[in-house]
Formats: sequence, structure tokens, C-alpha cells
Amino acid sequence: MSKATANWEKVGDKFYRKVRLYKEVFDLDLELENYKVVGAPYSGAVAIYRDEDKIHSYRGTQGAKSSIDIYSCAGNLIRRINWDKGSIKGLGWSEDEKLLIVTEDGTVRCYYDLQGDFTPFTLGHGAEEHGVLECRFWSSGFVALLGNNHLIAVNRYDEPRPKLLAIPPTEPVVSWSIIPPAYSLSRSVEVILAIGKTLYVVDATDAEDRDFTAGPFQHISVSPRGEFLAFYTEDGKVWVVSGDWTEKLSEYNSKAKTVPKDMQWCGSNAVALAWEDEVHLIGPRSVATKFYYDAWIHLLPDMDGIRLLTNDVCEYLQKVPDVTEEVFRLGSESPAAYLLEAAEQLEKKSPKADDLIQLIRPNLAEAVDTCVKAAGHEFNIHWQKQLLKAASFGKSVLDLYSSDDFVDMCETLRVLNAARFYEIGLPLSYDQYKRLTPEKLIERLINRHEYLLALRISDYLHLPTDKIYVHWASQKVRVSIEDEESICRLIVQKLHGKAGVSFEEIARAAYDEGRARLATELLNYEPRAGKQVPLLLGMKEDTIALDKAIESGDTDLIYHVLLHLRKKLPLASFFRTINSRPVATALVESSARYQDRELLKDLYYQDDRRLDGANLLVAEALDQTNTPARIDKLKLASKLLQDSRENVFAAKAIDDTAKLLRMQDTFEKDLGPGFVGLSINETIFTLVKAGHTKRAAKIQSEFKVPEHTFWWVRLRALVAARHWNELESLGQQRKSPIGWEPFFNEILGAGNTRVASGFIPKCTGLSVPERIEMWVKCGLVVKAGEEALKAKDRPALEELKAKATGTAIAEIERLIGMLPPARK
Amino acid sequence: MAPQTTLSTSEIGEKARRDLLLLLEGVRGKKNLVLEKALAGPLNLLVKVSTLQEYGVDKLFFLENDNIDSSQRNVVFLVRGEKARTVMAVADQIKRLRRSSQIDHEFSIFWSPRRTMVSDQILEEAGVLGEVSVSELALYFVPLADDLLSLELEDAFSDLYLSKDPTSIYLSAKALMLMQQKHGLFPRIIGKGDNAKRLADLLIRMRTEVTAGESSSTNGPSFLGLTPSSSMDTLIVIDREVDYPTVLLSQLTYEGLIDEFFGIQSNQTEVDSSIVGAASQQQPGQNSGSAATQSQTLKRKIAIDAKDTLYSTLGDSNFAIVGNLLNKVARRLQTSYESRQIANKTTAELRDFVAKLPGYQAEQASLKLHTSLAEEIIKRTRTDTFLRTLEVQQNVMSGADPSTQHDTINELIDRGVPLPTVLRLLCLESCTSAGMRAKDLENFKRAILHAYGHQHLITLASLEKMGLLTARSGGLGGAAAKPGSVTNYAPLRRNLRVWDDEVNEAEPNDISYAFSGYAPLSVRLVQSIVQKQQLASLVKPAGQQAAAAAQGWRLFEDAAKNIRGATFNETQSGEEKAVKARQMLNGSGHADSGKTVVVFFLGGICRAEVAAMRFVARKLAESGGKKLLICTTGIVKGDGVVGAAIETGRFGRGI
Repeated sequence: MSKATANWEKVGDKFYRKVRLYKEVFDLDLELENYKVVGAPYSGAVAIYRDEDKIHSYRGTQGAKSSIDIYSCAGNLIRRINWDKGSIKGLGWSEDEKLLIVTEDGTVRCYYDLQGDFTPFTLGHGAEEHGVLECRFWSSGFVALLGNNHLIAVNRYDEPRPKLLAIPPTEPVVSWSIIPPAYSLSRSVEVILAIGKTLYVVDATDAEDRDFTAGPFQHISVSPRGEFLAFYTEDGKVWVVSGDWTEKLSEYNSKAKTVPKDMQWCGSNAVALAWEDEVHLIGPRSVATKFYYDAWIHLLPDMDGIRLLTNDVCEYLQKVPDVTEEVFRLGSESPAAYLLEAAEQLEKKSPKADDLIQLIRPNLAEAVDTCVKAAGHEFNIHWQKQLLKAASFGKSVLDLYSSDDFVDMCETLRVLNAARFYEIGLPLSYDQYKRLTPEKLIERLINRHEYLLALRISDYLHLPTDKIYVHWASQKVRVSIEDEESICRLIVQKLHGKAGVSFEEIARAAYDEGRARLATELLNYEPRAGKQVPLLLGMKEDTIALDKAIESGDTDLIYHVLLHLRKKLPLASFFRTINSRPVATALVESSARYQDRELLKDLYYQDDRRLDGANLLVAEALDQTNTPARIDKLKLASKLLQDSRENVFAAKAIDDTAKLLRMQDTFEKDLGPGFVGLSINETIFTLVKAGHTKRAAKIQSEFKVPEHTFWWVRLRALVAARHWNELESLGQQRKSPIGWEPFFNEILGAGNTRVASGFIPKCTGLSVPERIEMWVKCGLVVKAGEEALKAKDRPALEELKAKATGTAIAEIERLIGMLPPARK
Repeated sequence: MAPQTTLSTSEIGEKARRDLLLLLEGVRGKKNLVLEKALAGPLNLLVKVSTLQEYGVDKLFFLENDNIDSSQRNVVFLVRGEKARTVMAVADQIKRLRRSSQIDHEFSIFWSPRRTMVSDQILEEAGVLGEVSVSELALYFVPLADDLLSLELEDAFSDLYLSKDPTSIYLSAKALMLMQQKHGLFPRIIGKGDNAKRLADLLIRMRTEVTAGESSSTNGPSFLGLTPSSSMDTLIVIDREVDYPTVLLSQLTYEGLIDEFFGIQSNQTEVDSSIVGAASQQQPGQNSGSAATQSQTLKRKIAIDAKDTLYSTLGDSNFAIVGNLLNKVARRLQTSYESRQIANKTTAELRDFVAKLPGYQAEQASLKLHTSLAEEIIKRTRTDTFLRTLEVQQNVMSGADPSTQHDTINELIDRGVPLPTVLRLLCLESCTSAGMRAKDLENFKRAILHAYGHQHLITLASLEKMGLLTARSGGLGGAAAKPGSVTNYAPLRRNLRVWDDEVNEAEPNDISYAFSGYAPLSVRLVQSIVQKQQLASLVKPAGQQAAAAAQGWRLFEDAAKNIRGATFNETQSGEEKAVKARQMLNGSGHADSGKTVVVFFLGGICRAEVAAMRFVARKLAESGGKKLLICTTGIVKGDGVVGAAIETGRFGRGI
């Protein structure tokens, strides 16, 4: 076994390693130098297409057909997308392995599953006229540079909203790059443009000149987390500037005459320059090392390193992780290095093993941790094993040690090694795997149709498996040539009892494939009613969709179906459909009330709901602005109710309304405004208050207002108008249907004690103490005394005496004197 | 006072707050925030205006006012997406702004609590969907107090009972589902009422759907979450329809009366400043530029805050004793304040005293406020109309023949008291006696049309549709009403002791204190589930306490039969394996104590009812048992209940 440090390279005081991932990647006939090559983040797939700017040898008609080929890192062709849609100006990947293709006319196609299915959208903002020049991608979006230097940013692909950024100067752009929103100071995407000798930083709101004079800059590269920027100047120098532009950190002179074809960051601590077959790796403090190849080289930057791709090999260049360095560095005296040595000695059954362990005894736990971590960063299975063995050995010596990390690492490595296997070709590094998360790894495997491995890994890591099954089944439905019956049976059999399986998705796949019957059959297995609705609508199973929506209880879904039906069906059949479903009817009613009264009228008419129809007309009458229009509406309402017996009351009331409105109209003509809109009682009130007693009486008789109501209203109106005389003359009448007490209370409330007191003697129904109270309220203590005397109520008189003032005291005393002497 | 719950209500509020601020942060730069009025209250409970400003909100607008200006490039809408009307209003305003403004606006819409398909459809048809960035703010429950969660759906009542629109049931189910996903399944769902039944069915359906689907896609601890909860006990769902009278009655607790007279909106009431004096400091920037109208300057906003020590003792007390309580506090403050005069204090004592000073001052301010509020309330409760109304209510509830009250009601109509007051009385009679006699009903209808205008034809029809004001069926030849379609109060007075003659307002010994005699039926129902023994002994004093710890309705089945609406009792057990795992984790023999019973009032709850519920909760806590958490679709009161039906249009300009 070669040494673990064999592929290390020292750059300054740091080590870098170049791990050979795969050999014999591409067909040697493939002229990789004529291709553009882009790799998906997290060691994902590689897309290549022939660079149109370069000439290439003629290979017959087959070769002339242009296509975009998607390979795994190991060189397995995953998919070939035939391309005849125009000149490609941008090719890039998103974090979740969506392939984005931007053509010159601003059309973007988002291939979401590695299998050639795509969703298109256009950039707009003048992309069509000016043409797209180039695009730069980040994990979840991209920026396109147009011919007129306008920049268009797309922030997400599920609902793309292309946005025009601030407008930079129009001089030609030498080179450019972007800072992803997650790492920019403003939290939105920023673009760095090299124009002339200077640099511009452009975001959504402004384009700022950074005042550089060292340009023109031939390359700009932003480190993966945006903390450093690298620039390549025309005189062959590489500048590294901190991400906040405050500090120039280093300058390196490449002494090269030709401009490198690419410059990329390798992790966040080194910059790689690539010429055709040569790579310079520049570490901090301007130290560098050089690698030479015998074929054209492509750089595929990733979050923690760079993949180097030639026809023959796929290599991974990264800074040696600290833990790995600690274990393997020559002459390392770290406990972990000793532990590894001890484990090796143990294998040789040498007593040295124990000596070494004793030596690092105090730091043993730390050494075990380091070995576990280093194993994770190792690509070579042999060294993974060695390190884990060492950790295991160290662990056994310790009394107390939690093995969780060790177990987790073993699991992780198993998964990683399976994914790195050349048939799968996902050479994830440990850090990439942690960032990517196992769930996303499963997704990638599903997209590659590696169902078995995906299932195994999911089971192994206790992750949900439903998506895998669903994807498998959908695929089965798409490609299987068996008859529908057996496909359905097969799918149901396989998926039976698996939690979370969405039959709706499978059914959709079947429907999209034109297998409607299969779709319906599969849909029956879907437990979620709501899920089925959109598909059912698509399949034109309208009534079933409506029933399912109602079943789900989600009013949004029901509305959705109803809107759909309303547009599609003629009115009569629409009503027929909702008629037998009360919830649907209720929803149509309540939404139509504000939006579509005519529809509601038709609905009521169809259902023979006369009273509702009439009330709707009354409501419409309320909205009219003049009396004749209102009366017209009311007439219609009344007509609706005419020949139904149970609505006599409502019909009469509606007729009354019209009559009242007509009378009020006349009043307004005769007496001035302020009548229309009042109720009957209010009309009487207003009339009485203004002194039109006759008209008030007419209203009373016309509408058969009960006496007690009329008296009350008249009382309130007279009090409000302070017509005391009328009130007193009313008091001359023998009887009042509401008694006289209200007169007293209302008048007293209005503050006229004199008139109020006039009503006290008439309140014969009340008890003596109550009447005494009334007198007192009017301030007439003496009168109260007389009342008490009449009732021969000595205690009351005594009480009154206490309340009395001035002459009244004497009066009360006189009254007390008139009482027959109390019996002792 | 309020019982502690392991399901922390503040946690729910905190989460909603974080979500909102995160969304606001997502819109870069300064922005104008456009609110639906109905969301202003909940928003106010969650964040302060100053916090919003910190997050870049420049001006606040109400959607309904249609007056958004173009002062900011970013315009953020925070609206509910359930109703097509609101969505259209949003679309219209976006279009208007786009047309009239010179600036190229960036529009964002936060749909609360969810983005709906209908909203997408409408926005698309209006041609604006392409230009707005749409997000969701999953704002379901808002904590009104430590033991009170509300969805604050203003329209829930009218939607449910007038338009029969089940949206609020669905949203309630969603909200409860979220709770279940967090804390585990309710081991048992018990309830009363047809809509309540629908809610329970939805919950069970959603549970199967969740286990069937989403659990796997959302990475969270949800697989364990769908076993019966160890912190939550029964879920009790009470449909408002089951018990209309409680909300129709005048509430007689302090908080209830504040709500009746001044109105409380999301724990905030507005009182004329002539009553309570002007606010000491104006909150700066409150609704600046938009909502501020002249009338508001005369009103003072008062927060109804259960954390205010003084208020926490007052709020749920019967108003009859509020005066005494205030008196006591005043005297205590006086003495502690006077103790300052004692010259020979040690410095330590002085330091102590000074440290307490701000507390005193706050208490003093609060005392002053509540004294003036209470004075105003006393003034209003002494009016003739209030007393008359109360008299009718008490008579009806205690079982007097309602027709004896008709004269009083007629007089109230003649006197022109506000329509809601009259309608509440009429509905009360109709609800308690299974409808009114057809002839009486007709007379009253005519009287109302005469007194308040013929537009109320619509009002009356709506009330009938809601089942609030109906003619008694089965009068002439018709068969008696179907069992379970109406509530029969006569046996309930006996079986559940809905009327309590020996009410004690000062030292409450029964929930009847909240209404000075009437024990809210809804709360009695809850008691019949969680406090069987106590209730049994209350109903049948002495003997016959064989009530075993039967679960569910037993024991009161007969009573439940006399109440309208479906009765149900479902148990939810998880997968056997998971249950066992859970038991292993928790150890087997854990007691009931500490578990929370969640009571959900579908269609709303009134404040006096809350007070009664809290009384039950206290008793439960005393007997060392469970805790109570009250959830509801919103706080309602009688005026609002009948107000849902009242037609506001008029023939003509009016006066």
C-alpha cells in the first residue's frame, strides 16, 4: 500500500492533496478541449457540450448532431439531450442538480431530473433584442449578462422571477463574477464586472465604481463563501482581496505570457490557475505549486476543493484536512499519529503497541476522535480501515468513551464508499456529504434511477423511502409495456403498506403518459382526498373532483373546483352539479353575494327559493340611489312572493316598504328633505317633532301602528322637541295605553320638573313610596309629604323631614302633626 | 391566576412573531406594509410598531382603505387569502398602484395562514401574479392570555352559521393538527354539535393523511409525534350552535362588560378619553399616515392585559364586586404609600421602598384607569334600559314563561333602544324555548320593521337562517321537532343545573357567578366531561355519587340528548409499536396530573364564558388534576352575534 501522503503537495506551509478519483473517464476520441464542461455542486453530474466557437473535425452526420451530454464523474453517460434550440450562452447547475440551459434569446430551460424533462421560462427585460452573452450560476440562481451590459438575476427556479439589476456602464465587460446572496453583505446577489481598468459592483439598486486602476482584469473569481475575491491582471498577477474589499491580502506573479483559460478557488484558501495542460495552485502568502498534465484540463470548482477533469482522469484537489494532516504528516507527534502507529504495531503483535498507548494515555480520547474524523476525510478504503481500527483499538483501552461518533462515521463511510463506487460516480467528500445531507443524496440517486441503492441507504440510515417507491412506480408506469392491469397489480403489490406513498403522483405520471384508466385505478389508492383533486380536474372527472374536494374539507380546494366548473359548464348544469351538495351551494352563495348577484338570482330561481330571491332584490333596492328605482326593485321582489302562501308576511312587508317610500317622497316634496330611509317609527317621530300631527296620524293608520307604539314615539318626539304644552294637553286625556309613568320619566329626564310633576297624580297604579320618590325627584318635598300623609305613613314623613330644607321643614312638621297620634 | 400549561401559549406567539419578522427581513430595504383590518389585532398582539419599524416598515396601510401611496418601492401585503373578495382587493390595489405610480414597485404578498389556489388563480387572471413574490405566514393561533388561544377569525361566526361556509372549521382543524404534530395526538376527542363533529372528523381524516404522506417529506420528529400525547388530555370541541344563549346574554364580569360597552379587539379596547383621561404618552407612529383619523384622537387605546396585576384580579370577577376590589386596592396603596412618611427608616428599608416605587406608580395608574372605567360602567348599568334588559334575560333563563316578558320587550322597541339589544332578547327567547310562537314572532317582526326600518327584512331572514330567531315548529299539526335539532332547556335546568338560585358573586362557588345566576351551558358541558363528580354532586346534592371515573359523556348522556347537535366521542390511539415506545420512554405509571385538557370553542367564546372556564380550571387545579387550555376561533359577544345578521344598508341617506 502506498503511503497516505503520497499524493500530498506542499504549498507554503500547507499541504494539498490530489486524490485520483476515477481513471479512464472519457472516450479518448472525445476532444475535450473543444467542449465546455460544467460540474454540478457536491461532486454531481458533469454536463458537456461542444463549444461552438471552436472548430472541430468532421465525423460524419452522427457527430455533427449537437447535443448536451450529462456524465457522472466517473464518465458514465447518464443522459444525452439532443439540442437544436439555438446557441447556448449559459450552462450551469443548481445545488439540487437541476441543469440550466440559457440560450441567446433569453430562454431558460430548467432540466430538473437529469432525464431530459424540463420547465422553460424566459428572462425578458430585453434579453431577446440584446441577446444573452454569458451566465454565472450559484447554488439556487443565476445572473445573465446581456449584450447591452444589462444584468438579469433569477433567484429561484420553482417560481422564477427574473429581475433586472442596476444598470452598469455600457463599455465592454472584460470579465465578471458574482457573489451569491447568501454570502454578500446586502443579502442579495452582487455582480462584479471588470470594465476598462476598473471594477464595478452591481446589485439590485446601484452600480458602484470601485475605483481600481490596475485593470483590465482578465479573470475574477469569488471564493465559495464569498470571503475572498481573486483577480487576474493583464500583467499576469493574481490579487487576492478580502470579501469586504477592505484589504489586499496577497499578490502572486504567475510570470506567464498567456492568459490562463480559467481561474477558480480551491476551497477557500487557494486559487487554481489553469492553462491548457498546466495548473498553478496558489496558496496564501503567494506561494505556489504547479501540476502538469498531458491532456487538456478542466476545472470544476466545488465548496471545499476542485475537481480536475481530463480525458483520462478525474482528480480531486483539496487542502489536506487538519485532522488528516495531524495523523499522517511525516514526523507528526500528535497522539493520533501515535495511536495509528500503535494499531499497526498491534497487528504485528509487537509489544510496542502498549508502549505507545501508555505514551499518549492522557490524550487518548482526543486521539480516538481525531482518527475517527480523519477516517471520514479519507478516500482510500485501506486507510479508512486503518484509521478506524486505530480508533477502535484506542477506544478499547479507554474506560469511558461514547462510541456514537465512531458508529456514525462507520455508517457514513459505508454510504460514501457506495456512492463513490465508479458505477454510481458520486465522489462526495465528507464535508460535501454533510452539507448535502443524506436526503439530498437519496434524491440524486433517485434521479439516476439507482433505486436499489437509494432504498438500501434509506433503510440503513432510517430515512423515509416513500419517494423512492413513488419515483420507481412512476418510472414503471412510463416505460413498462405490460398491460395496465398487471402494472397496477405490480405497483400496488410492491407499495402496499408502505407509509407515505403518494399514489396521486404515480397516477399523474400514468395520466401524462396517456394511460387514463390506469391513472383512475391508481388514484383509488390515494388516501388524501385533497391530493386527488387537481389530477381529477385535469382528467375531466369534474364531479368526482368536487366530491373529493368536499370530502377533504378544504374550502380552498372546493372553491378551486367550483371556479373551474363555473367556467366550463353551462349555467344549468353547473347548478345541477352543486345542487345536491349543500357545502358547494353554500360556498357559491356566499362568494356570489359579493361578486355575482345575477348568478345568485339565477341560483335562487332555479332552486325555487323565492324568499331568498326576494331578499336579494330588497338588498339590491338598498343599493339604488333614487326612490323610483328602489320601488321598481321592491315590486320585483313582491312579485316573486306573490303566489306563495307561506310568504304572506314578507310580501306584505315589502309592499309596505314601497308604500312608505312613496309617502316619504311626498313628505320630502312638501316638507323638505330628511324623510326617505327612515323607518315608520322614525317617520312618525320626525313628523311629530316638526309639528305635523295629522300626517303622523295618517302614517299610524296606514301602517296599523299599535297604539302603545304610537304613544311612545309621540312622547319621545314631543320631549325631544320640548313641546311642553302639547304634552300637558296629552295629559288631559283620561287614559294612556302606556300608562303615565313614562311621561314622568321622559319629561324629568329632559329636565322639566314642573311638567313632570303634573303627571305624578295620574300614576295611580304605583305604590305610595314610589310616588313619594317621584315627588322628591321633582324637588317637591311638601307634595311628597302630602302623599305620605294620605297614606298615613309616619316613617316616610320622618325621612322626608330629614331631606327637607328651609320652609319645607316646617311644612313637613305640620303634616306630621296632622297624623293621628301614633299608637303606643 | 391563569393555569400554567405545558403547551406553552407564549411559545406559539413567539413562533408566529419570528416567522413574521423573518418574512419582513426577506424583503430588502424599506417597505410599506398593507394590512387587512382583521389582521391588525393579531399583529398588534405579536409585534410592536417600533419592532416593525426596525424591520424596515415605513408606513402601515389598511387594505380596506385603498389608499396606499407610492412612497416606498417595496409594498408588502399581509392578508388572508381565503376569501376571493380580499384577493381581488389586493389585485386591484396592485394594479392601481402600478398604473398611477412612477416607480417600478416590488410587490410581496404574505398570505396568512396559507397560500390558496384560489388566490393564485385570481391574481393570475388579474395579471399580477407574475410580478409579486408570494409567501405564506402560517399564523393560526394567537395567544390572548396564558390559557387562551384564538384564531382571531372575525368572520368565523357569520361564515359558519349564516353562510354555512366551513372555512373556519378547516382552519381550526389545521391549527389543532399543528398542535398535535407538536405534542402528540389527543387521546380522546369529545364534543357536541354538528360542526364540532365535522371538525373532529376532519382531524381524524387529517391524521390519516399526515401519516399517509407529509410526515416523510417534512423532516421533523413527526413519526413519534403521531402517538397519543403525554402532555395533552382530551380535546373537547363545543360548537357555538349548541349554546347560543350564553353569548346572547349580557356578560356580567368586569371584562365582559368592558367588551359589551366599549368593545375589545384583540385585547385592546378603545374608550373615550373624556372617561379615562388622555393617554399619558402617545404611542409614536401608531398607524402613521393612514389609519389615524380625527375621531381616534378622542379615543384612548387601552390594553386589556392579564399580566397587569390589578386587572388580573378584576377581569374575571362579577362586576358587582369590582367596586369593593378597587376600594381595597386603593386603601392598600394608600397605606403603603403613607408608610413612606415614617421618618426613621433605615437606609435598607428606604432602598427597598424606592425599588418598589415604579411598581406602585404603575399600580396607581392602573387603579386610576380602572376606577374611572368602572364608574362609567356603573353609570351605564344603572340605566333603565340595561336594567330592563337584564330583567328579561334573568327571567327567561330562570324558566319563567317567556310570554310574560313580551310587554317589556315591546316597550324597549317602542323606546327605540339599539336594535342589537332587542334582537338579543328575542333570539334568547327563541333559543331557549325552541322557537317562538308563530303569532308572537310575526308581531315582533312587524314591530322591528316599523321601528328600525324595512331593510331588516333581510336581517330577520338571516337570523332565521342562523337558527337564532325561528318560529316554533310542530305547532299546528306538524310533528314535534326532531330530537337533537333543538335544545330543550326545561330538563337541563334540572339535569345540569343551568340556573343557579343561590349564586354567590363575591365568593364564587359555581360558574353561575359570571352571569349572576345562569350557568353557561357550554361550560356545564365541559364540566360534565372533566368534573363529573363535582357536577353530579352539584346537581343532586347528597347521595348517589356512584359516578365512577367513566370516560366521555356517560352519566350525562341524558342531558346531552336534550341539547341540539351531534354528540361524539372518539379515541385516538397511535400505532401499537409507537405507543409502547412512548410508554417505555415515559415510564408506565404516570398520573393524569399535569396533562392539559384542550377545550375548543368552534364559532367563538364570550369573555364571561372564559371567566367561567377559568373558574372550572381553578377547581381542576385545586383537585390536583388536569389543566385547561381554551382555544377558539375568536372572541364574540352578543352584539356581534346578532350583528352578523343585521343589514346595514338603508333606504336613502337617512339622517
